Amino acid sequence: MLKQFLNKIPRKAVKTDSPDTNGMEQGDNSNGFQCTLGGATFSSRFNVVKRVSSAVFPTGGTEAVDPHMSFKVVSNSQKQSLFLSKLTLCCELYDFNDHDKNYSQINLKHETLIELVDFVSSGSVKFNEAAISATCKMCAINLFRVFPPKDRSNSMGGAGEDAEEPMFDPAWSHLQIVYDLLLRLVSYSSLDLKVAKKYMDHSFILRLLDLFDSEDPRERDCLKTVMHRVYGKFMVHRPFIRKAVSNIIYRFVFETQRHNGISELLEIFGSVISGFALPLKEEHKMFLLRALIPLHKPKPLGVYHQQLTYCVIQFIDKDQKLASVVIKGLLKYWPITNSQKELMFLSELEEVLEMTSIGEFQKVMGPLFRRIAYCLNSTHYQVSERAHLLWKNEHILNLVSQNSQAIIPLTLSALERNSQNHWNQAVLNLTRNLKKILSEMDEELVTSSQRTSQEEGSTLSSTLEKRKAAWERLEAAARGSLISTDSAACPVTF
Amino acid sequence: MAMVDEPLYPIAVLIDELKNEDIQLRLNSIRRLSTIARALGEDRTRKELIPFLSENNDDDDEVLLALAEELGVFIPYVGGVDHANVLLSPLEALCSVEETCVRDKAVESLCRIGAQMKEQDVIDYFIPMVKRLAAGEWFTARVSSCGLFHIAYPSASEVFKTELRTIYSQLCQDDMPMVRRSAASNLGKFAATVEASHLKTDIMSIFEDLTQDDQDSVRLLAVEGCAALGKLLEPQDCVAHILPVIVNFSQDKSWRVRYTVANQLYELCEAVGPEPTRSELVPAYVRLLRDNEAEVRIAAAGKVTKFCKILNPDLAVQQILPCVKELSTDSSQHVRSALASVIMGMAPVLGKEATIEHLLPIFLSLLKDEFPDVRLNIISKLDQVNQVIGIDLLSQSLLPAIVELAEDRHWRVRLAIIEYIPLLASQLGIKFFDDKLGTLCMQWLKDKVYSIRDAAANNVKRLAEEFGPEWAMEHIVPQVLDMINNSHYLYRMTILHAVSLLAPVMGPEITCSKLLPDIINASKDRVPNIRFNVAKVLKSLIPTVDQSVVEKTIRPCLVELNEDPDVDVRFYASQALQSSDQVMVS
Repeated sequence: MLKQFLNKIPRKAVKTDSPDTNGMEQGDNSNGFQCTLGGATFSSRFNVVKRVSSAVFPTGGTEAVDPHMSFKVVSNSQKQSLFLSKLTLCCELYDFNDHDKNYSQINLKHETLIELVDFVSSGSVKFNEAAISATCKMCAINLFRVFPPKDRSNSMGGAGEDAEEPMFDPAWSHLQIVYDLLLRLVSYSSLDLKVAKKYMDHSFILRLLDLFDSEDPRERDCLKTVMHRVYGKFMVHRPFIRKAVSNIIYRFVFETQRHNGISELLEIFGSVISGFALPLKEEHKMFLLRALIPLHKPKPLGVYHQQLTYCVIQFIDKDQKLASVVIKGLLKYWPITNSQKELMFLSELEEVLEMTSIGEFQKVMGPLFRRIAYCLNSTHYQVSERAHLLWKNEHILNLVSQNSQAIIPLTLSALERNSQNHWNQAVLNLTRNLKKILSEMDEELVTSSQRTSQEEGSTLSSTLEKRKAAWERLEAAARGSLISTDSAACPVTF
Repeated sequence: MAMVDEPLYPIAVLIDELKNEDIQLRLNSIRRLSTIARALGEDRTRKELIPFLSENNDDDDEVLLALAEELGVFIPYVGGVDHANVLLSPLEALCSVEETCVRDKAVESLCRIGAQMKEQDVIDYFIPMVKRLAAGEWFTARVSSCGLFHIAYPSASEVFKTELRTIYSQLCQDDMPMVRRSAASNLGKFAATVEASHLKTDIMSIFEDLTQDDQDSVRLLAVEGCAALGKLLEPQDCVAHILPVIVNFSQDKSWRVRYTVANQLYELCEAVGPEPTRSELVPAYVRLLRDNEAEVRIAAAGKVTKFCKILNPDLAVQQILPCVKELSTDSSQHVRSALASVIMGMAPVLGKEATIEHLLPIFLSLLKDEFPDVRLNIISKLDQVNQVIGIDLLSQSLLPAIVELAEDRHWRVRLAIIEYIPLLASQLGIKFFDDKLGTLCMQWLKDKVYSIRDAAANNVKRLAEEFGPEWAMEHIVPQVLDMINNSHYLYRMTILHAVSLLAPVMGPEITCSKLLPDIINASKDRVPNIRFNVAKVLKSLIPTVDQSVVEKTIRPCLVELNEDPDVDVRFYASQALQSSDQVMVS
């Protein structure tokens, strides 16, 4: 069984990279990429980049060195070969479920992996082509795996739907070190990118991105750091990574609604977006419009909302004109029955409004305040409270007061309804305060709006009557017209 | 807003309604689109309403979904099939929206319309639309286009056919996996319309590309199409092109792929013929039955009967049966459960002797399984094995299993076994039932869980149907009526419900003589809920019993209840009285 795995995996990693992305490379260099995830090895980036001679002249024949030897006992010239044979040793996979049987081998591999990491961190490693290739191959064999199916116990009347325990790979103790090694490779200060990209090609990156669906938060964290570093280092891969991540998001939003790593991917993108050059490229705006904004829709929004908001805010920070687009998107996906989500939307809205200029605000204030009026009236007191608290924000209050003619009438009828009907004392207090604030803003408008909202109440029934009458006349007219509707089902109720 | 005296502008009413903030109103007006169309007449519907709808697709997804659905049945309102093409434009727009379910519905409606359109219209309007969508800038349009090719293709001319095949193969290599997935999942439908000669060349090369896609999700969908595609091919082509692929997939490293293969392997057996089945598919299937991943074994176990039906019995006994034995003691309860749900069907396939020799021990061990699902699944298919070997060989093990399930602590398990009681009764016969199961049925009427009591009441009715009123008079009615004075009002309510279900089965005579007096008595119950349930039951009895009984017994009781201090009792009593009035009038 293991043999089958081994035969299959490496074939992709050796494929050479297609040259089609070279054109993009140039344009992307200007985007000055920021790294905010920090890391000890990162300062080495500022060192003078030295070309390692062996990278230019890759060692052709590698004399085999017994992988079980220690780095300490071999001569310096042999260390590199030992490094390679140890990597090959670590390409063997063991069944951790049968721990007893494989105990000694598993232990040996664990120790070897640690030796490898130590060797790399000691700085004596040369990542020439052979080393890069072998490291990538070893990482691919160990990391790129298919996640096991979700456990389906408790399907029938199980006592409780206990919180879903994430599934941990039994081989994590190995995987963790492999990730560490990969990170060190990617962070290697004098890495020859031209050579490295032959092995870290599109397929390698795609499989790395596939792993973000892991249920283990530790693994996703490792991936985040690695992928962030890859994005930072490989300019040539940037467009591809952005596209691949978009595809993951599309699939999550439009097809499956299930993915474990959305928040980690968004964390990477938070810093990617803040690195975008101005003016924003159309491609990046499309990412906001078609990936980030639809991400507000799926049910598990709570898991990644914080990161999503950060990304959205970064965009608005780059380009003020995107504020109205974002607000329209929020209104489009505004939750109807999920109060928890509604609270998240309200807090994101406040953050967005903070950064919205008056011009952008005016583009959306009508529909926006109709929505806020609904929130003010929410029977869920937290939603209602949160909506009231928007007015506590100086910037928003300022936007409102400059557009009081449009907003006060919309808000006031909602406030009237609250003071008549709302069940919650805290909400009632907030409503009273808010009315006071609005009155201070424009006393006259408030009183006149109050009057119209009362009148509206009385005309409501007559509007209903009119609507009913109009439809009845339509029905009558429809009955009159003679359409041969033999195959059409007429939904008319007599 | 149109005043009553003004002339009527149906479009204006619609526009007005669609502007409303309340989504429910907008939804309602879309749902009544046909009314507006009929009021407008065919001509103006084509010239005014449809263009308006084509331009206004900026609404909430829910409204758009309703619109996509309505338009699918709109042909009569635009003047019949001759004018069906005007409907394409609004639906084409809906094919490009973001929300998946709107797009799916639009595609469905387009297929429905396209299937009715005249051939020339398909060429003039439908095919160009498919091409536009396939070239759409955003992936949503391209995804939608994949589901339309099978409608467009048959009417197309040779030139167009070549073009459509080319476009489809491009969609299969689209930049976005979303599109490739859609193309992969629609490939079977499209292939069914393509001529055999092109099937072998164009379609097979598309298929092979898809099976090597770098996205697992795409490959998976390609595998799902394997069987459908295989059935379209000649057996020798299927052996040459599909068989190696699926055998290869049956050893894929992704359990999802193997799972999909396990699910449909049996369908390929017929397509490739007996010899390749024996030499290639049976070994592949046996591997899947012994797969490392439980999920794959579940899928494979669930198909074991279907697979064996295709094989000759000897092969099944030699190759498959040993695996079945292993699966019956599998470590995963879900595997055993999947096996139990189909294994009874193997009895007719294997015949009496083989069943007794090989299957019976498995049945018996599954009947003793620690997991209730497994036992239930065996019991639910009892009739299949009964036909082959008779019930006697099983009945000894059956009874303890049933009793244990009947008292299981999970109410869903109890519910499931109740559902099978009428089946069991018919298979086991009256005598067995009288001796062993009768008391259980009465016991369920006093279960702590409402759903169980409800199902128990239903069960009593179905038993009466199965064994006839005479038997029921002896074995059911007295026992049920015994409980009508139970001290707990919820149990009294259950009995009332059971009685109301029994009445139609027992016929008017028994109803009046045995059941009605107890119901009338219950109208004096101190709990209002019982009293208004009496009113409901009486209402249901009115049509079935003789008019004189209604007059003499039922109405007086209802009149009394109509004076009840409790408002709900009065409500239901008055409802019942009304319906008795109606019966009298008619």
